[in-house]
Amino acid sequence: MFRNNYDNDSVTFSPQGRIFQVEYAQEAVKQGSVVVGIVSKSHAILAALKRNAEELSSYQRKIIPVDTHYGVALAGLASDARVLSNFMKQQSLASRLTYDRPILLSEITSRIGDRAQTNTQHYGRRPYGVGLLIAGVDARGPHLFEFQPSGVTLECVAGAIGARSQMARTYLERNLDAFEDCSRDELIKHALRALKDSLSQDKELTVDNTSVGIGGLEENFKLYEGQEIASWLETTFENKAEGEAGGGEGMEVDS
Amino acid sequence: MLTHIRQTSIGTGYDLSNSVFSPDGRNFQVEYAVKAVENGGTAIGIRCKDGVVLALEKLVTSKLLKKDANKRIATVDRNVGVVYSGLLPDGRHFVSRARDEASSWRSSYKAPIPGSSLANRMGAYVQAYTLYNSVRPFGITGIIGGWDAETELAVDGSVGSGPKVGAGGKKQGVKEGGPFLYMIEPSGLYWGYYGAATGKGRQTAKAELEKLKLDPKNGECISLEEGVKEAARIIYLAHEDSKDKEFELEMTWVSAVGGPTKGRHEEVPKALREEAERLAKKALEGEDEEEEKMEE
Amino acid sequence: MNHLPQAWGRPRDDVYGAYNPHYLPHSHGGHQAGHPNQHTQSPIVTGTSVLAVKYNSGVVIAADNLASYGSLARFTDVHRLKVFNKKAVVGFGGDVSDMQYLDRLLLSLHVEENYAGSGDVDDKESDVALMSAKNLHTYLSKVMYKRRSEFNPLWNALLVAGLTESNEPFLASADLLGTTFSAPTLATGFGAHLAQPILRRVVPDEEASKALTREKAVEAVKECMKVLFYRDARSMNEYSIAIVDKESGVDLKLDEKLEGQSWAFADRIRGYGTQTA
Repeated sequence: MFRNNYDNDSVTFSPQGRIFQVEYAQEAVKQGSVVVGIVSKSHAILAALKRNAEELSSYQRKIIPVDTHYGVALAGLASDARVLSNFMKQQSLASRLTYDRPILLSEITSRIGDRAQTNTQHYGRRPYGVGLLIAGVDARGPHLFEFQPSGVTLECVAGAIGARSQMARTYLERNLDAFEDCSRDELIKHALRALKDSLSQDKELTVDNTSVGIGGLEENFKLYEGQEIASWLETTFENKAEGEAGGGEGMEVDS
Repeated sequence: MLTHIRQTSIGTGYDLSNSVFSPDGRNFQVEYAVKAVENGGTAIGIRCKDGVVLALEKLVTSKLLKKDANKRIATVDRNVGVVYSGLLPDGRHFVSRARDEASSWRSSYKAPIPGSSLANRMGAYVQAYTLYNSVRPFGITGIIGGWDAETELAVDGSVGSGPKVGAGGKKQGVKEGGPFLYMIEPSGLYWGYYGAATGKGRQTAKAELEKLKLDPKNGECISLEEGVKEAARIIYLAHEDSKDKEFELEMTWVSAVGGPTKGRHEEVPKALREEAERLAKKALEGEDEEEEKMEE
Repeated sequence: MNHLPQAWGRPRDDVYGAYNPHYLPHSHGGHQAGHPNQHTQSPIVTGTSVLAVKYNSGVVIAADNLASYGSLARFTDVHRLKVFNKKAVVGFGGDVSDMQYLDRLLLSLHVEENYAGSGDVDDKESDVALMSAKNLHTYLSKVMYKRRSEFNPLWNALLVAGLTESNEPFLASADLLGTTFSAPTLATGFGAHLAQPILRRVVPDEEASKALTREKAVEAVKECMKVLFYRDARSMNEYSIAIVDKESGVDLKLDEKLEGQSWAFADRIRGYGTQTA
């Protein structure tokens, strides 16, 4: 059998000019649970599906607020994301300390991009095994960036990475034109619906497994979890809730 | 070409590590890096009489990308731009190094780096990544274009001007500088060009560039504005082979200090770019009609 | 006896004892054990005062074109106002070579600021994310403070004049000690004693500066430049003046001359020169 000899490290090109180690790292992103991001004229939103290792364990952290004006959502190796987000926190603080200005999202994104690139050109390192969505508001308005293990960074209107994220992207592409003028609430709904589309049949979005991060022209980036997102889930998926909630309503009466 | 490489490289073991020669004196890892370039969007540079144009066919890989956002032609020093084709993160590494070179030159010499020196230093840097098995070569070909100022540059801003003539004074009426264009390959090899092209559509682009009047020694050389229009047309033409994919045209330019960009590397103004695109599309349609006529 | 060339023309060690280099700088064999390293102890070629006033839609800043070598008027075409971008101008007092160093620092900062694309804007200078005077002042004061903390200060007093991110007039100072200060009117050097009181009479507080017109601000600054020329022996009658306005951007004039001087007051001064009574 032909054995691929070109995939042992990130300093070897294949005869086609590919770097397999980097491509494998991209696969690690696809193993992570899905995260979604959208921007409008006034807001940038992240939504994420959290996993728990077992019934009784806590859920993993998917959205990390970095500075008051932005945060990141991750898919892939969480520990790599922690290294990157710590670096982003340092860089963001440095910008505030030296210039008294919040760092531009394009700037911070290209800095982690450059850092990731180094790992793909030197022996003895491995590429980061994590993808990020970076969302927030800076002097130039709301932004969403996607970061990949290869060091590629892209500015998007909407994006989704992680397991089964193609379904979310399909939803986003279909509704692409609507996002720009969306209100905050509408944008949250779109993000949750896109997220929902990437779930496998037997799964639901709940207050336990969903995270939302919101930044806006008039508000700092904030992470919303648990009961804070209950009403959004309810209003977004109300049609479905009505169908199933017959018994639920009865219980409410009882209590 | 590909089959040729297959026959001589794969399975020999000489192509598994950078910095290793094969018995016939080749470094296969560098040749593979060139493959990474050959799949990238077409990038070109045109050295005109009064400036330089850089243009890029930016393939749109997803509908979700923000339009006209992801800029890829980078400014290195005020008067220098870089466009590249191949692995994008490698391109950013290349740009970042070029910026460091330009800035360290400034701190040593209190003056902007001349194009030739920048190309030389970048050539040396890229070449160093073919020397060791602990690194891989750059998966890009970079085009560096800019304008070496023809006017006298103030030393330390405008602090004192020194004698105007005489001992320690300046030779009057002497002009240096002008447009420059260099292309650096993954091997570290570089040449100066009148018109340079790399990426997927380079063959088409080169053929078109060769038709332009670019050699100042032959008397006439096209102007910067003509260059902008030609660049747009060439990128549109080079895109014909991958017509099914959408693309954005990104263009930057540098003129003389007395020209439209005042010696700075800048994006081509939107109005001019759109006009160039309109003409490019028109030229393409014209060509299609001609072909149809020929078929008839 | 030592016949080697380095001993030629020097006092003989066997007669006068070994040469004691303790007063020499570190690089020339000085610095005895237990003694501290020394950096710049005083400025050499210096510029005098810088003045600035905030008015309703911008800031006026001025400094004369003289660089003194001690009391000698050594260079008379030195421009001490540096335009950073259309939102910020820096005025330098104090050591001129340190000013040149800072100017190069600002240049490389400007080149770096230029790297990042300006989004959808054609003209980079009209970018909303353009570095503001406030950002620049924060940066410069950090540089000044770092250097003084290394006991190697940049011997300058700076005024940063311009606009904030939201295009409000901005004026603040930073000096060799890393001290920062902000007010509607500011003056460095001798000007802090001579011009500042006059400027404060015109603009006592923020409110007054919001009501001040551009013409009145320019007039006040020019008047102060004149008073400084009368009384500051390290000043001259040619000066630079810059106006940063939120509507019209930066207007820099480099070779202005003082107008309407009157030395009548000098007649009343006693105690200097050749007078006897």
